[in-house]
Amino acid sequence: MAALRAGDFAALQLLLKAPSKDAVRQLCQECFSSPPAALGALAQRACPGLAVSAQEAEQLVCALHNLTRHVVYRGFTAPEDILCLFPENFHQNLKNLLTKITLENISAWRNEAQASQISLPRLVDMDWRVDIKTSSDSIARMAVPTCLLQLKLQEDAALCGNNPVVSALTVELSKETLDTMLEGLGRIRDQLSAVANK
Amino acid sequence: MGLLNFTGEPVPEAVSGDMHNLNQLSAQQFSALTEVLFRFLTEPKEVERFLTQLSDFATMNKISLGPLKNIVKSILLVPNGALKRNLSSEQVRADFIALGLSEEKASYFAEQWKMNSPTLTRLAVGQTLMINQLIDMEWKFGVTAGSSELEKVGSIFLQLKLVIKKGSQLENVYVELTLPQFYSFLHEMERVKTSLESFS
Repeated sequence: MAALRAGDFAALQLLLKAPSKDAVRQLCQECFSSPPAALGALAQRACPGLAVSAQEAEQLVCALHNLTRHVVYRGFTAPEDILCLFPENFHQNLKNLLTKITLENISAWRNEAQASQISLPRLVDMDWRVDIKTSSDSIARMAVPTCLLQLKLQEDAALCGNNPVVSALTVELSKETLDTMLEGLGRIRDQLSAVANK
Repeated sequence: MGLLNFTGEPVPEAVSGDMHNLNQLSAQQFSALTEVLFRFLTEPKEVERFLTQLSDFATMNKISLGPLKNIVKSILLVPNGALKRNLSSEQVRADFIALGLSEEKASYFAEQWKMNSPTLTRLAVGQTLMINQLIDMEWKFGVTAGSSELEKVGSIFLQLKLVIKKGSQLENVYVELTLPQFYSFLHEMERVKTSLESFS
């Protein structure tokens, strides 16, 4: 996560050339969501709408990315925290607009950051069915219930970009295994309640 | 020989000779041999122990080990077939008599069969094919304190490691769940348990 640089604020003033407040809002959103590697492409797209040179667009987009990410990182909730980031001579109205936009979006952006943070493969879905085994090569007649559990796992979002890789894993559990598993899950639940009640 | 319950195929010729030899054993000797056999059947992995006990039996009763092993092979045909076909002790007894074993010894074996069959059935069921069997589950949960994108986080995560048997190899699968997902998972597993119990 990049820190804010002095040159960033100079670049931000280019936003004064934006056609409307909504355009600024839109750009803030796109700059926050974009990973650093995709900022170049974003700058190219934004360039015509802002009437700035390609190089200026790139500087602006990077600055906006850094600003929005910095605010989300620090978890600012009060306008004063954001306002004091700006230098003395920064355009007053633009400063207020940017502060307002970031505060409006901060909780959505926080969720976005949390959803895309690194993790082990995540559980996205689970399905189950219960079968009765009636016969096998080792015993001709039986009535043994068994459970098939299908877990859909999604690999780390950051690794996959826009194409999340979802794999399905089907697991068979006997009644005994299920009982042991439930015992373990129950213990987790008890420990979670103990932690929550502290 | 009439139709047998434990098998649909013709029995090897040596079997009637082996049954005849068995009949020569005293009741005590037969009971000791039966005990050795059932101990092996209920714990089929203890091959070494089984062979040692057979060899001890042979020495103690002054029988040669080779012929004894053949006799044991013949006897074991019946319980193995009986297990596959869910035979009753009556049917086991009838089969032994049909093979040439004395009524007394056949009844005794059938009795032992009846006593051991729950254990033996459970073992056979346990050997039944399972796809991607779940062997073990390890877990940990904790709090995410911070990340490169968020200085302070404070959210709870739960990580599970599932050990799965794929063919003859074990594979580890790691999963992360959020708290709501965990509660939903627990709820579903409890529903599965209710379902399995209603079919047992």
